[in-house]
Amino acid sequence: MTDNLSLARELVAKGLNTGAEQIEVYVTKGQELTVKVANGQVETLKNAEEQGVGIRVFVANRLGYAYSSDLSSTALETALTKAIFNAKKTAEDSFNILPRLSDVYPELDLYDPEIAKVSVEEKIKMALLMEDSARGYDPRVKIIESCTYQDVHYQIAIVNSKGIEKTNEGSYCGMYAFVVAEEGSEAQTGFDLQFELKIKDLNPVKIGKEAANKAVRSLGAKHVETQKATVVLDPYVATNFLGVLASAFSAENVQKGKSFFAGKMNTIVCSPLVEIIDDGALVGKVVSSPFDGEGVAMQRTILVKEGILTGLLHNSYTANKGGTASTGNAIRSYKGTPEVGATNLYIEAGQVSKEVLLSEVRQGFYITEVMGMHTANPISGDFSVGASGLLIENGKLTKAFRGAAIAGNLIGLLKQVDCVADDLTFFIGSGSPTIRIANMTISGS
Amino acid sequence: MLTKEVIEDILAKAKALGGDFAEVFIERKTNNGIACEADRIERVVTGIEVGAGIRVLVGENTSYGYTNDLSADNLLKIAETVAKAATGDNTPAGIELIKAKVQPNSDIKIMPGEVEIDEKVSLVTRANNAARKMDDRIKQVTVVYGDVVQEVVIANSDGLWIEDQRIRTRFMVNVVAAQGDIIQTGYEAIGGHVGLELFEETEPEGVARKAVKRALLMLEAKPAPAGKMTVVMDGEAGGTMIHEACGHGLEADLVQKQLSVYAGKIGEKVASELVTVIDDATIPGKYGSFGVDDEGTQGQKTILIENGILKNYMYDYLAAKKENKISTGNGRRESYQDHPIPRMTNTFIAAGKTDPREIIKSVAKGFYVKAMGGGQVNTTNGDFVFDVKEGYLIENGKITIPVRGATLTGNGPEVLQKIDMVGNDLGFAIGTCGKDGQGVPVSDAQPTIRIPNLTVGGLL
Repeated sequence: MTDNLSLARELVAKGLNTGAEQIEVYVTKGQELTVKVANGQVETLKNAEEQGVGIRVFVANRLGYAYSSDLSSTALETALTKAIFNAKKTAEDSFNILPRLSDVYPELDLYDPEIAKVSVEEKIKMALLMEDSARGYDPRVKIIESCTYQDVHYQIAIVNSKGIEKTNEGSYCGMYAFVVAEEGSEAQTGFDLQFELKIKDLNPVKIGKEAANKAVRSLGAKHVETQKATVVLDPYVATNFLGVLASAFSAENVQKGKSFFAGKMNTIVCSPLVEIIDDGALVGKVVSSPFDGEGVAMQRTILVKEGILTGLLHNSYTANKGGTASTGNAIRSYKGTPEVGATNLYIEAGQVSKEVLLSEVRQGFYITEVMGMHTANPISGDFSVGASGLLIENGKLTKAFRGAAIAGNLIGLLKQVDCVADDLTFFIGSGSPTIRIANMTISGS
Repeated sequence: MLTKEVIEDILAKAKALGGDFAEVFIERKTNNGIACEADRIERVVTGIEVGAGIRVLVGENTSYGYTNDLSADNLLKIAETVAKAATGDNTPAGIELIKAKVQPNSDIKIMPGEVEIDEKVSLVTRANNAARKMDDRIKQVTVVYGDVVQEVVIANSDGLWIEDQRIRTRFMVNVVAAQGDIIQTGYEAIGGHVGLELFEETEPEGVARKAVKRALLMLEAKPAPAGKMTVVMDGEAGGTMIHEACGHGLEADLVQKQLSVYAGKIGEKVASELVTVIDDATIPGKYGSFGVDDEGTQGQKTILIENGILKNYMYDYLAAKKENKISTGNGRRESYQDHPIPRMTNTFIAAGKTDPREIIKSVAKGFYVKAMGGGQVNTTNGDFVFDVKEGYLIENGKITIPVRGATLTGNGPEVLQKIDMVGNDLGFAIGTCGKDGQGVPVSDAQPTIRIPNLTVGGLL
């Protein structure tokens, strides 16, 4: 810890002496363990250690950046020289700024010493238990694509020439299962995952069973006719859409006209039932941290309230340009400059249960998996993705369907939300309850 | 870099507890990136990455460790940790490395390191200027240049010891066009296992113009139709369809785990007899090309499907060993942080005999794909989707109005059987292929093809 801090301090001092007018040094070190099992055996065991330094400098309001995973003094000196050299090649921008210390930083319990105390053998057993639970759920669960346990321990130090000197240490662990159910010549997949700050909160049995349930219930899936219908997104699918929205909430993208939220501040962008929040200080979440990639305090930012766009995600640069304060949303690794990004981004839970939400649907589609979400366009909001899931008939989930596609525009989708359930579920840094969309085209045969 | 003796010691240590096979992969990578947005050069970034990964195999199990600290002491420590998770019955023995030579297939003409940064910046500026002056409706232009020089040392307990240098250059333009309430984007990218000669074939302005034209066209486009129709894919559309519809399902690791619809089908007819699918790492300069793969196996050309008959899968060392075969040179990894797995290189449907114009003429009512975007496949059931970046309707044998926001979805084995016309053209597109969290550079291609009855995901 102290090494990281003194390494960063030294580089800041050296930078200021060799031509940088402002400088920030970001140091990360991390250790990672991954255990992947299949068929009752360890398939892959991975031990990792990673370190890296990112150097950001300003010379005459011009930005230069360099990074290195080689922490030898020669490599770091080369990186520093490169960063200063690169600053001569970029355009001048008077909004370039490094932050000062925030007034208050959230206090979070991010380090679980138990993760290191539990032996690798125990962690292997947890992964095997997850596999057994999946197989035990139904005899048709015949293939295990992977059952994985993973944990990460990280240390971060940031020092800048405006007086920030911050360190943070944390850890988290997670498990995920991908399984296949077979019947006759048909095979269908299912998966589930859980990431937690504390190892005691992991529930391998539940993950295994849930993955198995998803695979088994997809067996016998039929194709559907092209039609307009009510569509219900399960929390996981809804968070997939939220991933595309994240980039539209970026003040940088809004300022550059690269977001469908540009020019929409304080206007209606969603159904009044929708509230969207980003909260980097949310207790108990693996993505939470006391400070962001520039050393600014992480915080809760309400982005959409009762359907109205009320906030955006900012780093120091976009805040300076927009005449506001950073929301602590500078996201980065040592390999890049701190860019605007989401932390824990979620749709707030509604009032009704999932059962009630479904009971009101006479005929519709409950979507549990989408394919190709990375091809959705975060600038225009246009999306068209493959979809599979379960039919809703008279308020109940019935037969499986697959091979369909849903298309539209995200704004249109959000405005058509007519029910939000109370089952807010997080998938690492993204959360949503079950949501219902009044009317959508579903393409099939 | 490390001496022969040190590498031999590391391998011996990794295999000391009885593993079948040990390997060390040492990487030194220099990246240069330039980004222009909001009409100015915003970022010039230089990166230095060094690291080593050590792998030990026992039976079908893999133990892997990596580090950025390349001191001999640290690597020996990592080797010891890795060995502990890969104990077996083999008698530990000394390792004698023999230096092998890479047979390069791409001749790099202009090394990125020999070109001044100002010259690279000017390529970016040229594209930005060209895009901005084309039309008032262009509201934002993003231009990104990147070059990578990756030096690797690969050595293993079979005595292989090889050094390789991979150079890749890429260039991407994304534009945002707006008219009234409509915002649309246009994207174009070029890249290859090449240096700065990349721009001899295609000028930066040319890339910019393609992106701008696409964005403007999409402003005028109507929402895509929904439902099943005959689809014609242009020879310049890229090969995302073949990459998703069959490429991933022919990777041997997925086949062996019964996670592919193509498992157990060697020698069977899995596609129309018009279809021949090839994976070829040896095409000079393509984005997915290389001399040796990330296990030190020479890159090669592998015929996967020949005239509709399934001939072969793509193998890495481990998958090949399970079947007593030799690797097809498809063992690739994103970096020292990953163990190699079977991956595609440059994958394509071979050109056929039909004039592409005849194919379009043959369709009374259909959907024409001029450019494909990304895609995804579920290899277990074969369902795939891919995004259409530029699409049109076909009416009475003619390409008519542009449409936007379409995805094509289908089932790999069904679609391959249905292809009923194959053109005599062939055009490559570049991409980064993701699998198990690892991204590797690939290219893919196809001639103009006709597929009756494919689902277009659009609006009613």
